[in-house]
Amino acid sequence: MKPSKILAWTAIAVGVIYFFVPLIGTFEFSMRMRRGEYSFDAYQSVFADMQFRSTFGFSMLMALFTIILGMLLIVPTAYWVRLRLPQMRPVVEFITLMPLVIPAIVIVFGYLRLYNSSSWIPFTGSTQGTNILLVFSYITLSLPYMYRSVDTAMRTIDVRTLTEAAEILGAKWPTILFRCIFPNVMSGVLSGAFITFAIVMGEFTMAALLNRPAFGPYLQLIGANRAYEPAALAVIAFAITWLSMGLLQIVSRFGKLAPSRP
Amino acid sequence: MSFLVLQNIKKSFGQTQVVKDFNMSIDKGEFVSFLGPSGCGKTTVLRMIAGFESPSDGTVTINGKNQNSLKTSQRNIGMVFQAYALFPNMNVFDNVAFGLKVAGMAKPDIESRVKDMLKLIHLEHLADRYPYQMSGGQQQRVALARALAPKPQVLLLDEPLSALDAKIRVSLREEIRQIQRQLGITTVFVTHDQEEALSISDRIVVMNAGRADQIGTPSDIYNRPATRFVASFVGTLNIIEAIVSDPAANTIRIGDNLVTLREPIAALKNGDTVSIALRPEAGSMSETAKCDTMLSGKVVSSHFLGSVIRTKLDVGGSQISFDMFNSPDAALPQPGELVSLRFMAHDLLLVRE
Repeated sequence: MKPSKILAWTAIAVGVIYFFVPLIGTFEFSMRMRRGEYSFDAYQSVFADMQFRSTFGFSMLMALFTIILGMLLIVPTAYWVRLRLPQMRPVVEFITLMPLVIPAIVIVFGYLRLYNSSSWIPFTGSTQGTNILLVFSYITLSLPYMYRSVDTAMRTIDVRTLTEAAEILGAKWPTILFRCIFPNVMSGVLSGAFITFAIVMGEFTMAALLNRPAFGPYLQLIGANRAYEPAALAVIAFAITWLSMGLLQIVSRFGKLAPSRP
Repeated sequence: MSFLVLQNIKKSFGQTQVVKDFNMSIDKGEFVSFLGPSGCGKTTVLRMIAGFESPSDGTVTINGKNQNSLKTSQRNIGMVFQAYALFPNMNVFDNVAFGLKVAGMAKPDIESRVKDMLKLIHLEHLADRYPYQMSGGQQQRVALARALAPKPQVLLLDEPLSALDAKIRVSLREEIRQIQRQLGITTVFVTHDQEEALSISDRIVVMNAGRADQIGTPSDIYNRPATRFVASFVGTLNIIEAIVSDPAANTIRIGDNLVTLREPIAALKNGDTVSIALRPEAGSMSETAKCDTMLSGKVVSSHFLGSVIRTKLDVGGSQISFDMFNSPDAALPQPGELVSLRFMAHDLLLVRE
């Protein structure tokens, strides 16, 4: 075997050990709740916990709203930038990258300052308002991933010509957007949706500081008070993320079949 | 009365004027090609007819109705794009049906119209295929069917054959022309390929730097180019510099050869320089060739190109290429050989700038 190949395999082996040993350790620990034998007691305990169900359900609902509203904001924006305002592209890219450089805690303190119960727009004055604010903050957090995945999908189709082809056939803007463009960037939309889902399910800072019963704060609470359940929850959280990533891969593979080019 | 009228059309992008005072009238059912090099403004004119661009000045009129204030979607125009532009998420049937669905046509009517269109392009058996499952030629035929399905008043073809290989290009252009004749639809075809334009058009507009240099039938454009640009862009042409010898007698001198032109040159002075054009296929070396004019020169080179033999002559410092059909008995002229090139005087064209 060539030295370069040996080096490559060594690097892969180190990477695998680095990522998988702690995970296997966590999984192994989560199975030790019953003394002297392996069992899924910790998982049973987690699934039986009402708080797990309610926080998981709450975060799922938040993720769903984040994905729908985020896509309704991002797909038309990316489309418009590509079609009519290409000169604005660097500006939009910069804005969408901001959540990566501004810590979530700074963003949420900004929200609390702007939207507290004594402000002009008192989002935090009610539960419903705080939930809306949480969805908006999740949209902000997922912007870098959502925008990029949609924009990359748009790059694979000739947006301008497809728009013109639809326009000359008599189509108006909603028809063009929802029947000609949206279905052709679906792989990007779904990729963005899965990443958003993974982010929302594990997000702690925003939910904790806005005092909402989300899955992230629940993970922290269990981690601080129990022994085996946090390990089981960590494995569950990983499984959710991996499932999202797997679905993302499947969707991307289907997406590759679609574009037709001369 | 003309069906499609472009009147004093101008278009500027910032400081750059890409279309300068363009005028053109197209009759109903006519097939007109806009021919010119890249950047001459031909696609911009087409896009103004479609409504994708607004003229900076001038009007676009279709069937007596000013189109300037109408949006693209309101103009009832069909268009085929260079990049096909089929919707990748829809199969052939849905692509062709798209315009009809948008127009709110009833389902049975849509089905019957789409079937008719697919029959027209001989692709009835591919109705369920998606664009990525078809060849470029098939995709472009579907694009043509999609454009024709809503019965547009004008069909615009924006270099529809450019992305296809040579064989498909020839067969598809013939198919397009045959369908256009069958439907009698007014068609504007944009191309930079002179052979395409010459072979399928009723009239050709040769465009140069935002203007129409010449508008005429393919024969007019090829045989009687109005400007030096048209002469050099359409076909291969020899441009020969000559000296006016006797303006009253229309005679010019090319090297030692005195030649009488058919076109009057009385406005010129003795000793003026003029440019004369001669098509390579107009001349012959055969002594029996029908001719009334002759140029003597020395062979510079001679190449066997299969169906033709291309010979280059030096005539008084000007190099003239001419083609003769291949014949198994014909001997290749040798470099340095003195020969006479015979042709008819009316083949010599006075070139205007």
